[in-house]
Amino acid sequence: MKKGMKLAALVVAAAMILTLASCKKEEKKTEEKKFMAAMATDVGGLGDKSFNDGAHQGLEMVREKLGADIKVVESKQQTDYVPNLIGLAEDGSDIVFAVGFLMEQAVKEAAKNNPDTKFAGIDIWAGDNDPANFMGILYKEHESGYLAGVVAGMMTKEHSSASPRFNDKNVVGVVLGMFIPPVEKFEVGFIQGVKSVNPDCKVLSVTTGSFVDQAKGKEAALAMIEQGADIVFQVAGLTGLGVIQACKEKGVAAIGVDVDQSGVAPDTVLTSAVKQIPQTVFLAVESVKNNTFTGGTKVYGIEDDATGISPFHDFESVVPQAVKEKVAQVAADMKAGKIKIETTRAALGM
Amino acid sequence: MPDWTFLMFLNTDLLVATVRLSTPITLAALGATVCEKAGVVNIAMEGIMIIGAFFAAVTAFYTGNPWLGLAAGVAAGGIYSLIHAVATISLHLDHVVSGAVLNILAFGITRYLMVLFFGHPGTSDAIPSFLGDYQFAVPFLSKIPVLGPVFFNQTPIIYISFFLVIFLSWFLKYTKTGLHIRAAGEHPLALETIGVSVYRIKYLAVFISGLASGLAGAYLSIENNVSFTEGMTNGKGFIALAAMISGGWSALGSFLSALFFGFADALQVRLQIFRVFHVPEELFIIFPYAATIIAVAGLVKRSRPPKADGVDFIIEKENE
Amino acid sequence: MSRNLISGNSLPLRKYCDILSGFLIAGGAVFYLGSSFLGLIPLASGAALYLFIIFYFEGREKGAGAVKKHMSRLAVPVIGIVSAVFFGAIIMLLTGYDPVRSYAALFYGGFVKNWYVSVLNATPLIFTGLSIAFAFKAGLFNIGAEGQYYIGAMAGAWLGLTLDLSPLLSIMLIYIGGSFIASLWNFIPALLKVKTGAHEVITTMMFAHIARYLSPIFIRAFGGDPATSSHAYVTYEIPQSNWLLSFRAFIPDANYRLHTGILIAVATAFFVNYMLNNSKTGFEIRAVGFNRDAARVQGISIGKNIFIAMMAAGALAGMAGITQVLGLDHKLFENLQAGYGWNGISVALLASNHPIGVIFTSLLWGALDAGGQYMARTTNTPNSIVEIIKGIMLFLIVAKYIYIYAVKFIKKKRRGGNA
Repeated sequence: MKKGMKLAALVVAAAMILTLASCKKEEKKTEEKKFMAAMATDVGGLGDKSFNDGAHQGLEMVREKLGADIKVVESKQQTDYVPNLIGLAEDGSDIVFAVGFLMEQAVKEAAKNNPDTKFAGIDIWAGDNDPANFMGILYKEHESGYLAGVVAGMMTKEHSSASPRFNDKNVVGVVLGMFIPPVEKFEVGFIQGVKSVNPDCKVLSVTTGSFVDQAKGKEAALAMIEQGADIVFQVAGLTGLGVIQACKEKGVAAIGVDVDQSGVAPDTVLTSAVKQIPQTVFLAVESVKNNTFTGGTKVYGIEDDATGISPFHDFESVVPQAVKEKVAQVAADMKAGKIKIETTRAALGM
Repeated sequence: MPDWTFLMFLNTDLLVATVRLSTPITLAALGATVCEKAGVVNIAMEGIMIIGAFFAAVTAFYTGNPWLGLAAGVAAGGIYSLIHAVATISLHLDHVVSGAVLNILAFGITRYLMVLFFGHPGTSDAIPSFLGDYQFAVPFLSKIPVLGPVFFNQTPIIYISFFLVIFLSWFLKYTKTGLHIRAAGEHPLALETIGVSVYRIKYLAVFISGLASGLAGAYLSIENNVSFTEGMTNGKGFIALAAMISGGWSALGSFLSALFFGFADALQVRLQIFRVFHVPEELFIIFPYAATIIAVAGLVKRSRPPKADGVDFIIEKENE
Repeated sequence: MSRNLISGNSLPLRKYCDILSGFLIAGGAVFYLGSSFLGLIPLASGAALYLFIIFYFEGREKGAGAVKKHMSRLAVPVIGIVSAVFFGAIIMLLTGYDPVRSYAALFYGGFVKNWYVSVLNATPLIFTGLSIAFAFKAGLFNIGAEGQYYIGAMAGAWLGLTLDLSPLLSIMLIYIGGSFIASLWNFIPALLKVKTGAHEVITTMMFAHIARYLSPIFIRAFGGDPATSSHAYVTYEIPQSNWLLSFRAFIPDANYRLHTGILIAVATAFFVNYMLNNSKTGFEIRAVGFNRDAARVQGISIGKNIFIAMMAAGALAGMAGITQVLGLDHKLFENLQAGYGWNGISVALLASNHPIGVIFTSLLWGALDAGGQYMARTTNTPNSIVEIIKGIMLFLIVAKYIYIYAVKFIKKKRRGGNA
């Protein structure tokens, strides 16, 4: 009995000391104020090789070029979003990024309750009723998908003799992670790009239902390759690493997504449909620093060099000049607003 | 008139894909079978697999040798499973509880170590060489139509899984140790009275299950693919549990059930490609799970677990 | 004899004291869960009064006995928590993180600063934990609670969008209808279990996977955000009259997200506890779970009780989803890794399947999650360490034999020392 009491006293004392220590630490904050930018990831966390990593890269650029402090928090469940965003604001961040469309509601709430801090949301739309200190950042993924589609559509038929990686079956494929808006825009753009240069081309599509299951991605790609696909576009996050692996093993070509994925398998990745998240994050931070920040939605597209395809790298000599010229011309038309690209499957009648 | 061209999917490639998809499930289910035969319930395959996958990838990455990675993955799985053995056998912890703990721990540990080893979470850097390079065709046998490419032109761990199915079936049925393992799950007291340590037999069985699940993990990270991804097991350990149960707690049954699930999964991918039905693709993804339920409901005969499965065995009778 | 007389005389007084202490404890708890720390005062004084009542009315020995009983019940969890914290500190030291700073942030974040987040995290966990604990009582492992959670959330969103009656009535109908639909999700597993003996681990888990992939289809059917694209990834918002009451309605400085779902969760836990211990069905379910053969001999229908337990487990897990939709999100969106079903297993086991215990273990889990986020933000310690600590904690609390061995070992040593 006595021992129990002693133990309890000990625990209580320890808890009190801890609490006191933490209180003290709280008081010490906010001595020197340096410019600071921060981000909270969605539940996918860092290492997704997609928007979370992209935003992180952008903040690293901010640290290097603007000499600002940066801070990154990974959310584990959806209840974490609001406290993380508000916490980052309380830590003295000048701008806080919410990354991923899942955080839409959370970041708008945080912005409303912290009017002195700027907030920005990647893949999140800002409406008229949303607070003025919130900026939504969207990308025209369908443009990147379209350009990648143009390359794929031409390589799989007209120029299939350029490399043994291509065959004459005139089939290409897309592997999706989960069916969510940015993924849909990439896919739908790709299909339109392929059809624009190669109307007879068959575009296969598989949804794997996961962003982390490499084995599933690989299997989906292999099934497409069996059906004659010689170029597979992956829009599946880490699941997509399995897609690239399958293409590498079967000696066909893959198209990466979000970032330039040539490094994953230089001899396999033809190009990547990129989305320049780092640059746009940098621009947003810079606007805060220069006091030019405005709320509302910024939609970045090819005219800002935010969407498009990455260089061909190892395929530079394989891809014929005609294709490069066509890509340049389509990109120019896109900038001039001459090409209308649908953004949903429904619009394509799928 | 529906478009029947999709039927061209019913070919050898479908069966090869079935084997590929079912291998990790087969291996984990085999391990679980041995474990449960000895009376220890194991729901920790998911966690053991992810540990095995991680250490296989780390070792293959730093040594550049996938065979060492294979060894490390198997060993890590075995060592990690010993926690389950200590907890359930020596500390008389509820088996389901211990398994649940191991699953939680495994995800925490791999995420924590990812940052330590690779400096970033998410996915590891690609390993320089992987076991998929060692695919080889067995002479003559691989020429047999259909069965040849399916069973005799595969990668190393797939061959190991075939071997294990046969070996474990024989081992459990005809060897003395196998007999002891089964006795530990059916009549532990009888086993003890003939002078065999039930504890030791159970430890052995749990360890074997850890090795098999570790191998399943290694298959995912260094044979099927070239890097480790957090959460890459994606529920396969639990599917293995289902395969073992619907396989009637036998090695061969587990293998067949795993093949069935792999087949359903391979088929749904192909149905998606052909867009045979114009429905949301999530319904295709659901297909293997629904098929498993139907199989369990209608096709699989009523089977029973080992009598003393999950029952705590204490020699000196002690109550809480 | 005389004792009887005294207690006979003071019975009304005792009744009043009981009511008062109960009132203080309940009121204090409501405010405390509403993240008003002033609630601790009535909570503590109610507890003190309760102790006083026992000592005063039942005599010293009985009072001391009661205290001792509670203390010994708490001993193992406290030792488990303290040792897990200790092991966590060792891991942090070995890998180059500062344990004192990290723990200070973890506890401050989880129990003080972001206590409301802990409560929000705990709310669905209590329901899923109850679901799993309830099934365990009948000897069933409801591993698919995650799926019933999704179904509950979908049913809650659907009814929330369609029902438009007076607020209280429609919320009640949503709970009844939603949990009914979620319990139906367990109908086939229950039927298969009873009729063919198909293991519930397989069937409920397969149904969980199915439910998870049905939710995006449901969301696309009931939503759409024309501003961004016509591809819906959230449903429409349910009308405000169907929202759960926010704590802000009566605690002005409570966080605006904090909703009273936690009170429903706690009430449900007490109800489940009462039902299990005081009703015939509860007794039968426990009998079936304890020893199926003995129950059959007593004439208890195994099939019927397994059926009831499975359906109830489904309904309880479904209530987690309903509460999340009505209280927190007010809409349903594609939640890729909810994990409430899996974490529910942990909290149920940690509480040894005791319904009241589930409340506390859920709060602890919620606080560790919320504190882990705070820790990761303010110190650089990765929050995956929290998962490791959780695992160790669970292990040390449920592995009671560790303590039996430890006591034996100490006794042996003492004896050895004396000899």
